[in-house]
Formats: sequence, structure tokens, C-alpha cells
Amino acid sequence: MEQTVERTVILGSKSGLHARPAAVFVQHAKSYQSQITLAKDEKTANGKSILSVLALGAEKGDQVALTISGSDAETALNKLVPLLEGDLG
Amino acid sequence: MKVLRGIPAAPGLAIGAALTLRPLPPVDLSEQRTADASAETTRLTQAIAQAMTLLERLQLTTHGPLAEILAAQREMLDDPELKQGALDLIASGSSAEAAISRIAASYAEQLASLPDPYLAARAEDVREAGRRIVASLRGTSSHIILDQPTILVAQDLSPAELVGLDPTRLQAIITESGSATGHLAIVAQGLDIPAVVGVAGALDEIETRNILVVDGENGTVTINPNLEQRTEIEQRLAEAERDRRNLEIYRDRPGMTADGTWIEVFANIGSLAEAQKAVAMGAEGVGLFRTEFLATQGLPSEEAQYTIYSEIAALIQSPLIVRTFDIGGDKPVPGLDIPTETNPFLGWRGIRLGLDRPEEVFLPQIRALLRASIDPLHDIRIMLPMITTPQEVEAARALIERAQRELESEGYKPQRVPLGIMVETPAAALTLDQFTHLIDFASIGTNDLVQYTYAVDRTNARVRERALPLGAATLRLIEQICWSGIPVAVCGQLASHPAAIPLLVGLGVRELSVAPARIPTVKHILSTMTLTEMQERAQEALGNSKIKQ
Repeated sequence: MEQTVERTVILGSKSGLHARPAAVFVQHAKSYQSQITLAKDEKTANGKSILSVLALGAEKGDQVALTISGSDAETALNKLVPLLEGDLG
Repeated sequence: MKVLRGIPAAPGLAIGAALTLRPLPPVDLSEQRTADASAETTRLTQAIAQAMTLLERLQLTTHGPLAEILAAQREMLDDPELKQGALDLIASGSSAEAAISRIAASYAEQLASLPDPYLAARAEDVREAGRRIVASLRGTSSHIILDQPTILVAQDLSPAELVGLDPTRLQAIITESGSATGHLAIVAQGLDIPAVVGVAGALDEIETRNILVVDGENGTVTINPNLEQRTEIEQRLAEAERDRRNLEIYRDRPGMTADGTWIEVFANIGSLAEAQKAVAMGAEGVGLFRTEFLATQGLPSEEAQYTIYSEIAALIQSPLIVRTFDIGGDKPVPGLDIPTETNPFLGWRGIRLGLDRPEEVFLPQIRALLRASIDPLHDIRIMLPMITTPQEVEAARALIERAQRELESEGYKPQRVPLGIMVETPAAALTLDQFTHLIDFASIGTNDLVQYTYAVDRTNARVRERALPLGAATLRLIEQICWSGIPVAVCGQLASHPAAIPLLVGLGVRELSVAPARIPTVKHILSTMTLTEMQERAQEALGNSKIKQ
């Protein structure tokens, strides 16, 4: 069933979305069929592309909007939200 | 047979087969291949897959901050936006090489414009990812995997490239550029790999699989030696091996003069691999951890630093003196916007940069160090580079205290960490007594102290010989430094020089910090003279301006 879910999260990773946390997030995002988008201020990023995630320049404590649409959107949201709120490593 | 001459950068002798690394020709960004877009698409897809396989193999041999960078680079190779961008360019007639280079450059520009210096430094990783794919498209490999003992011949090698190599298979290094005190020399000495740098025309004269003899002591490279020479080299190698075994007994002894005065012999390191080597060679501690070697890909995060400092402190289990980032004009860091200077050795470097940009450079490092020293088994000490006045130490101490308070408010229980300075400017050397209330120890960086004392740029071959590491001016400064009453170490290259050791100890130095491979030799030299003999020799040298090294 196609659906779109959205959630705003406060980034918990100490170093923001630096190379390692970004790589961890993207690897998880790629395991879902749904389209995954991150947005910060007026910038948006493809959640499966490390380059566009890095280009967000997101730091710890930043508000990031997560939008997921597709057949496994709900499952993806349940996994990815705690990931962004926690310490991505 | 032919002999090339260069600058001796790391001692040792090696005989083996050459592997030459030639710089890749640049990609023609406007190259069009309109004929068959679908063939270009297939080529690109295959090249990306191949580049990923090669990178995964490289990842298996690395750890720490570099492994983190490679993981991110692998993810960049697999980036759907990067690939789609390149495919769009191919559809409009671009060749695969031009398409991937252009799209990588455009992402690199986006990242470079970010305010966070760590993220901006990732721009170089995207370009590197682009180069890896281009190399696969051209059927060449952009990185080096050593599958047999090899003598590497290159234009230049960055510390990051060097760290990725398997040191057990790297017999020797030859480069066309470089200086005796550059990063490459320091890393090669630490790993005990002979190196000759500044060998003009090396890549023109040497072919892959040529047999080479590299003499890192004399700075010579012999191409295709004849039988007589090979026999001679093999004899010398056997002799060196015998010497090494004879010195082995010194490894587990403390550094001591013939009459039993304890002189600590510490190691200079720049990585975990060198820390392991230091322990294996019998270091009594680490006298200089050059943390800027962690920053070859951009400043590492506080977390990454905390991990590596904890790892090394746990491994060493004795004092670990960590020098805060000594970066600046001559040691640039990707992502840190440091303007090019006409005179970088007199410019914005070391503690000057740290104090001027505390949030970015100094504080994350101090926080990582304070956190790593909470574990009671870790004996971490902090050392500040490029100090000229007590005011700089006061400013650094204020920042350290601030980091301490912040950590306490976050629930950590940081300890007081001993603080010391590098004495590498005549200003600090002449006034060290004014620092006594501020610092616990001092370490003389002889390479810079000599360069500043004799006003000789150590990278300038025309004037290099005019600097006198054992000249009266250097020795009088060292004598003055020892008068301060502060415990004094030497961590420059002079500390492992056979003629310098008795003079330094005779003047009052009580700790020598040297490349791990030199530790047994230094302990041996210390054991051959009494303290009184060394003091007499030092007094003689102080009045004698003709002594050269």
C-alpha cells in the first residue's frame, strides 16, 4: 500500500551528519523501497544519497524533516527516526 | 646500471623490485561521445562496480579516522544522485570520463561551500571518488595494493596514501619531490622503511620491475645493480641484521648512561601503527604524538579523536604526550580555510591558529583529550606547539579550564592533565624561566629551533647546509632552556643523532624522544658514556663554533 509519512526530528548525533553518521543513515535508508527525503531549512536531500545528505550541512540539535513515501514507509519511519535522534556513531 | 641521487629521508638499506606510480593524465571535461550513449552508460556502471570492489579491499587494511573516510568514500561511489547526474550528462553526449568528473566536481564545490570545516573537507573525498571511477574506466587503478615486497617509486606520496599501504610489503620509498623533514620522511622513519626523496627524474629512469638498491643513509638509488654490487648489498644487509640483533638487548632496558643516570627514551608517533611499533621497540613512553597526521583528510571530529587517543593511551600504558594540532601554512588541512602565506614558517601556525579559532580547532581536541584521560590507566599529557610567550600559554590554559568546566556540567569527571610546551622558537628558549608557574614540562623541537635560530628555511636546498644543528648558537639556547629548572626533553631529529646525544644529555636534557626504530640504538649510545663525560663534551662544544653535524 502506497503511503506518505512525515516526521520532524531533532538531530541527536554528536557530530551532526558528518561522514560516518551520514553513511550509517544512508545504508539504512537504502534497505527500503520507499522514497526517503530529508529537509533542513530550504534544502532537501535524497536520503539514499550520501552526497546530498552531507550537503545539508546538518549539525547536532538541528531540526530535520523526514518524509517517506512508498509501500514500506511506516516500517522505514519507525527505524529511521530513532536513528536520527540517537547517536549515529 | 645507473645511480640516482636524492635526499636521504629515512635510513636503511633495501634491495627489491620497483613499482612506479605515474600521475594520471587529466580528463578532457568537454569530451563528447555522442555516438553511443548506451555503451557509455554500461561502461560507467561497470567502472563504478569495479571501483567499489577495489575500495572494499582497501578498507580491510585500515582502521581509525582513515577507515571512516574510506567508508564514506565507498558510499559516495554507490551514490544514486552522483550516478544519475553522470547518466544525464552522458545522455546529452558526454563521455563517461567527462560526465563523472564534472558531476563529482560540482558536488565537491557544494560541499566546499559549507561552513562546517569537517564537511567542507569531504569535497576532496568526492573528487577522489570521481578519480577512482575514472581510473576504472581507463583500466588503471588509482590506488596501490602491494601483493609482494615492493619498492615504491612516485612523484609524491601523501601521508594518507602511505598509511593505506601494507608496511610489511613496502621495502623502500623513492619520490621525486619532498624534503628530509617532510611528512613522508617522518612517517617512513616511524615505520622503519628506507626512503630517498627529491630524486630528480626517478620516474623517467625507473621502470616497474627494475631491480633497485635503495640506500636511505646516503640517499642513493642504484638501478639494475650488477652481480658484484648485489653481493655487496646482501653482505651489508646481513651485517645490518646482525647489528639489529645485537641492539635487541637494549630494547627492554631503561635508557641509562654508563654511570646509571636514567635518561628516558620515548617515541615520536603519528598513528596507531607507529604506537604499536613504539611498544615493540621498547619505548618508555610517547614524547610526541603528532596529531596533525590525523587531519590529512580534514580535522577529525571530537568523537573520532577521543577514540584514537583512548586506543593509543591504552596501548602505550605509559606517558603519552599529545601535541595539539600543529597546522598552518606549510601543513595545510583540507576544509580549514588557511590563506596561502608568503612566509608560512613565520605565519599563522601551531598554537596561533588554535587560539584564534578555538571552537573549530583547539576546543574539540582538548575535550577529546580530557575525556580520554578520565580512565585512570591512561597517562595523557598535553603539549602546545609554536609557543613564543607566556601569554599564549595563559590563553590556552583558560580554554582548557573552560573545556573542563563544560565537561563537568555534562556529567564527566575530567582530571587535571599535565601541560607542557614545545620550545622551538628562540623567544621561548630565552625566556623559559618565565613559564615555570604555567607548565609541567618542555620539549625542544630541534628542527624548527635550528631553522629559526640560523634563519635558514629547512626546505630550501640552497641554504639548508648553513643551519648548524650542533652549532654553538643551538647549544647555548639548549643550555639556557635547561637552566629554567623545568624538565626538558628533545623530540626533534637531533635526539637520535649519535654525535648530538652526549651533548644534549651533557647540557641537562633528561628525555629523548625519537622514531620508534631508533630506540635501541639511542639506548645503546647512552650506555657508552658517563654523565660526566657527556657534560665535559658539552662544555667543550659550547665554546666551539666549528662543530658541524
